[in-house]
Amino acid sequence: MATKTVNVSRPYTWQEKFYLFAIVQGLLITLKHFINGFFLRKHNTIMYPEVKREYSNRFRGSHFISVDKNKTENCTACYLCQTVCPAECITIVAGERESSKNPDGVKKEKRPVRFDIDSLRCCFCGFCEEACPKDAIKLSGKYEMAATSRSDTKYDLIYLKREVKGRG
Amino acid sequence: MCNTTDINREMGKHEIALNYCSNKHAVQKGANPAPKLILDGEVVEFVAGDTILQVAERAGRGHLIPRYCYHPGLPIAGTCRMCTVEVEKMVKLMTACSTPAADGMVVHTKTERVLKSRAGVMEFLLINHPLDCPVCDKAGECDLQDNNYRYGPVTSSFLEDKRTYPKAATKKLSEKITLNMNRCVHCERCVRFSEEVVKSCDLMMVNRSWHKELTLADDKLGLTSEYQGCLSDFCPVGALTFNDFRFVKRSWFLQRHPSVCDGCSKGCNIEVHSEDNIIYRFTPAYNEKINGHWICDTGRLSYHQVMDPTRIVRPMLAHNGALQATSWELAQAATGHLLETAKKVKVVIGTDATIEEIRYLQAALPDMFGSKFTFRSFNGTGTLSTSSQDKKLDHLLIMQDKTANLRGAEECKLAPLENGQINDSDLVLLVRFGRSAVPAVGNGQKLILLGVWNSAEQASLGAAVEVMLPGLATVEKSGTYINCDGIRQQFIPAVVHLGEGMAVNRLLRFTKK
Repeated sequence: MATKTVNVSRPYTWQEKFYLFAIVQGLLITLKHFINGFFLRKHNTIMYPEVKREYSNRFRGSHFISVDKNKTENCTACYLCQTVCPAECITIVAGERESSKNPDGVKKEKRPVRFDIDSLRCCFCGFCEEACPKDAIKLSGKYEMAATSRSDTKYDLIYLKREVKGRG
Repeated sequence: MCNTTDINREMGKHEIALNYCSNKHAVQKGANPAPKLILDGEVVEFVAGDTILQVAERAGRGHLIPRYCYHPGLPIAGTCRMCTVEVEKMVKLMTACSTPAADGMVVHTKTERVLKSRAGVMEFLLINHPLDCPVCDKAGECDLQDNNYRYGPVTSSFLEDKRTYPKAATKKLSEKITLNMNRCVHCERCVRFSEEVVKSCDLMMVNRSWHKELTLADDKLGLTSEYQGCLSDFCPVGALTFNDFRFVKRSWFLQRHPSVCDGCSKGCNIEVHSEDNIIYRFTPAYNEKINGHWICDTGRLSYHQVMDPTRIVRPMLAHNGALQATSWELAQAATGHLLETAKKVKVVIGTDATIEEIRYLQAALPDMFGSKFTFRSFNGTGTLSTSSQDKKLDHLLIMQDKTANLRGAEECKLAPLENGQINDSDLVLLVRFGRSAVPAVGNGQKLILLGVWNSAEQASLGAAVEVMLPGLATVEKSGTYINCDGIRQQFIPAVVHLGEGMAVNRLLRFTKK
């Protein structure tokens, strides 16, 4: 059904014709913001990047992979995050860890040779974190993920292994 | 009542090795009323000598009975106790795999007692089984996972430390197989396989109970059989894994398509496991008449030849004395020109071509370019040239002839190449699909190569090669092979070819305007 448009010509009331009321109303709002900002120091904006906004503990930001005390990643390349990922942004290539570099034995004999996340594809749903049986992949509270080139937005294993304090 | 050993005696030795539970004695309806038993309230006919599990399998209800030690290709052991069922008028639960079925038996597979027993067995197995499914290659196709999901208890009442085998946690049994003893559930399928099927006797269980451990008979020798890949196939857990597939892919990503192995004249049935048309492994597909449940390791690893990075997958044309990649139009035009101007053309077809390809070449080439063609087949496995010279190399599957279709070539009346030499012609069309050897070519003859070639094989022919037309390997095409026993096998493509190769009938179609 098409929308029917009706033009109504309504005469102005005397208050509307007398503009001073509206001007005073507007000036009062300006005065309120001036007092709040200048005297009471109540700002709605912040001085980013010197000042950072507080986020919830449950905010899901940039990814990282947790490491143990030997700086070995906890990831065992089980492909569960890759399987569950709805955006298909994770690419894993598995391999065997050299036994000389593996004090944990069987526990960590399988390792990710490559672990790439395309953060431009990622929708930050957190399914990977939920699927991970080793608590290896996690989403940190970091939300500053702007980059100057497209290749910087593809996270590799070395970047993901950086030390981040996770949420919770 | 006859038992399994009687059946074994009836069948030939070879057949026993391939298949302990043969479908040869299929249920025959007619003169003598077949014995019947009641399986979960349904009347099922069977053959005297069957065990309860075999009756259920034949009735298409094998999925009702979980099992670890039972495998249709292996002798019956009855050690895992997973397949217990309730039989009326019997006091205890009976193992379905080893209890012979009798006429009038009433079998229940879903009663509370049975389910409780299964949950108990599962809990005992999981006491020592590590929770390393994320690392384990078997995850996704693991009997222990499946059965625990269906029948197992949700929790475990075992709080102590799990038993581990520190020395056998990652032990290379050979170049092909790795053992992780922590995961083993002691079903002994592998031991029975090495003793009864391949008869290499290189695996055994030592010690008892808690300390029971799978070891090699000779640590220095390792596994010696040619069928080691089968160990990882039927291992119900991830204790024995195939090194070629180790940590390569998770099984749930793989698509499975049937095909035929072209590694020798046996023509074993295989399942091609691929993702995005990249092949990750071959596994055997059951075929009672040909390979039973097994394939050899050479056949299993032969997918590397299809996925070979040096395989030529673009048409090539000789230019300034070297072959260079080109377009199909140019390559086909050059082929047409060469075939038209030549006076005497010899077409040498490898015995790894399908019957359809041979027939097409025999019919289409004289039709397009006149009767200047002589057709010859070439095998190249030693001095072997006819199927009567072909012989078995072991008691199971491996044949001497390393091409798949020698009998098919004979059926197409293709005479073998004399002395394995190509001499008296000015143009040679060499058709082979990666399996038959490259024949010796005399000087002064131009060459057109067609089919599956890798760069080393192409380079061995030197500068005489004028055109190279890439074709399709067995798993990428459809066709028919006749195996060493005369069994005709048709197959369809299992994967899509990733290069620019074409089927023979498409590839030669446009060579003549």
